Amino acid sequence: MKRLCFILACIALLSTVYAQTKIDFWYAFSDANRSGWIQERMDEFNAQLSAAGKPYMIVGERKGSYPETQQAAVLAARQGNPPHLVQLYEVGSQIAVDSGIFMPVIELGDFDTSDYIAPVLNYYTIGGKVNSIPFNSSSPIVYANKSLMDAAGVTAVPTTYNELLAACDAAAAAGVLTADVKCFGVSLNGWFVEQWVAEQGATLVNNDNGRSGRATEVLLTSDAVRNVFNWFKTLNDKGYYTYTGKLEDWDGSDAIFTNGKVLFHITSTADLVNITRAVGTSFELVTGMLPIVDGTERNGVVIGGASIWLVRDHPVEELTVARDFVLYMTNAENMVSWHKATGYYPVRNSSVDLLRAEGWFTEFPNASTAFDQLLGTIPSTATGGALMGTFQATRTIVEEALQKVLAGASVDAALAEAKKLADAALAEYNANF
Amino acid sequence: MKASPVFKSRSLPWLLLVPTLGILLVFLYFPVIQSFVLSLYRSNLFLGTQRFIGLENFRNIFSGTLAPGFRQVLLQTLLFSGVVVVSGLAVSLALALLANQPVRGARAYRLLLIWPFALSPAVAGTIFLFMFNPEVGFVNQLLNVLLGVKPRWLDTPALAFSIVCMAAVWKNLGYNIVFYLAALQNVPAELGEAAQIDGATGAQRFFAVTFPLLSPMTFFLFFTNLAYAFFDTFGLIDIVTAGGPVGAPPFDHAGVTSTMIYKIYQDGFGGAANLGFAAAESVVLLALVAGVTVLQFRFGGRRVYYGGA
Repeated sequence: MKRLCFILACIALLSTVYAQTKIDFWYAFSDANRSGWIQERMDEFNAQLSAAGKPYMIVGERKGSYPETQQAAVLAARQGNPPHLVQLYEVGSQIAVDSGIFMPVIELGDFDTSDYIAPVLNYYTIGGKVNSIPFNSSSPIVYANKSLMDAAGVTAVPTTYNELLAACDAAAAAGVLTADVKCFGVSLNGWFVEQWVAEQGATLVNNDNGRSGRATEVLLTSDAVRNVFNWFKTLNDKGYYTYTGKLEDWDGSDAIFTNGKVLFHITSTADLVNITRAVGTSFELVTGMLPIVDGTERNGVVIGGASIWLVRDHPVEELTVARDFVLYMTNAENMVSWHKATGYYPVRNSSVDLLRAEGWFTEFPNASTAFDQLLGTIPSTATGGALMGTFQATRTIVEEALQKVLAGASVDAALAEAKKLADAALAEYNANF
Repeated sequence: MKASPVFKSRSLPWLLLVPTLGILLVFLYFPVIQSFVLSLYRSNLFLGTQRFIGLENFRNIFSGTLAPGFRQVLLQTLLFSGVVVVSGLAVSLALALLANQPVRGARAYRLLLIWPFALSPAVAGTIFLFMFNPEVGFVNQLLNVLLGVKPRWLDTPALAFSIVCMAAVWKNLGYNIVFYLAALQNVPAELGEAAQIDGATGAQRFFAVTFPLLSPMTFFLFFTNLAYAFFDTFGLIDIVTAGGPVGAPPFDHAGVTSTMIYKIYQDGFGGAANLGFAAAESVVLLALVAGVTVLQFRFGGRRVYYGGA
């Protein structure tokens, strides 16, 4: 009898273990710093769930890069076995909406949007609906090597295109630039071109950046884009610019900067902590806002990074737990810790208040640069960010055009060809509807 | 009527073939047929849409905005495969001959030569990427000290193409060397000795005796290497150059290290997610590979010496 009781107890125990419903969360980070942070939040939330006796468990899975994660999620949904939560990058927003597999978070019970920073919430509001839960938001800033700047007699981080050129001239005149040290080392990446178009208050695609209607034309021959390309051409012709030679080589360009091979670098604020660690004590790191085209107003930056989307085909109870997990992961305290661990924006106003109260921004001024830049952003269709189904393809086309210009092609010819290709891809995408 | 010497029953051989045919059907014939069907549709990976458009995808391959890029990549694929197969086989045969010499520690040399094959393409690619970073890579650090030059390996089209070829050859050396070593150990020593007695030099012995005897292996390796160059170099290319850089005219319509398989992936699964177009491209690639195979069997196959009469 005792034995039977024991067996029954075991069965009961096992069945409670197996009765736990898994809530799948697919995300894109592969570095130990960021994925470790997410794992900790999942463990904490799972402990809360089991303490409350709820039969759910959040299970995370890394799915590679942003495009790969999106691909995996959409394909899984088509095969009838999707995760509950997916981290999608901003560029994929239009595709995510068009794919129809996601449920706007605003449609699931009450979703309190009052605490989110306006530019962040605006980006993820499509057709008047908040689609996804803001999580990791970023924008680019200048990273500068203060030690090399001092050697060149440059006192402030350049804030315009011409100031950066002048700083490079000064560095060249002072003999700081050698075969081994260049002036400027941003990675060749369409993201920065998009940011500079927004800074000039221009839109990247027609129909108000694709927000008043489906975009049908990519405005790559605009003055705004031409300004950016001409600047790169000048920098490159003078021998000031360097990159690894590979498109979107974030790590390679970071390595060039952290090894002290360039004065100035531009990359995401999300890399602030990783870059600060890599630089260590080898030189003094200072940051600055994105330089703008001379004679234009500083319109601000577009939100980059990613947000968390809910996949529609699941029971409401499971989706509610899934949403509650994301809300826990992105609550005020956790966003403070996330910001400190990485450099991503704390996307909640309450998190910003907490950081201010503890004097974080005065203690670590490099963290406030990106933040001031974001808060100074003028809300408009330009800084709201473009929507198009072929955003990633357009990015690659822009990068290849810029690479051609660096190899000696004319700016106008390269952009005309790029526009033709980007428009053709977009027309092909739109023909699916 | 001829009696089958092995199988008593007529159905038994077919029964034994069922597993093979089943696997071929599921993993080979079915996907090929699906590609053919998909190539006639406008289909987007993310949207899951499918609309019949006849031969429009094929028209777009050969004329219009996308055609120059396709032609360039097609040419590059042939060039890349040619370089990788020919230099890959030549280098590995040379190394296999050296490793086959009866010297002290030959086993250790053989082991070291086969090593690169055990690396995953991702690891091999990352090693090359960091070695050839123009500013902080090991190669340029060394060249800068020794010769005062820092070539831009990854965005000078000719250099980037060479690097990818080199990485692809290096990565497959181990595989080729294993097979050549095995073949070399089957070459009867007395044939070489006989030639030597007849006064043949080392080179004559190799070209007149050893090389012809290796021809079945060379023929086999030619195909496995061709398949490797066409299909398996994807990971390496993705990591080292991501298909770039864009070249000077007329190579300015696509990255110079993009091969067909890389472009198909980019078109179908990359930003544009144009599955129908990618399927049409893969049909063209299939036709190309089939064509090369037929040519090789027709013209190359005659020269292979399998022994016997």
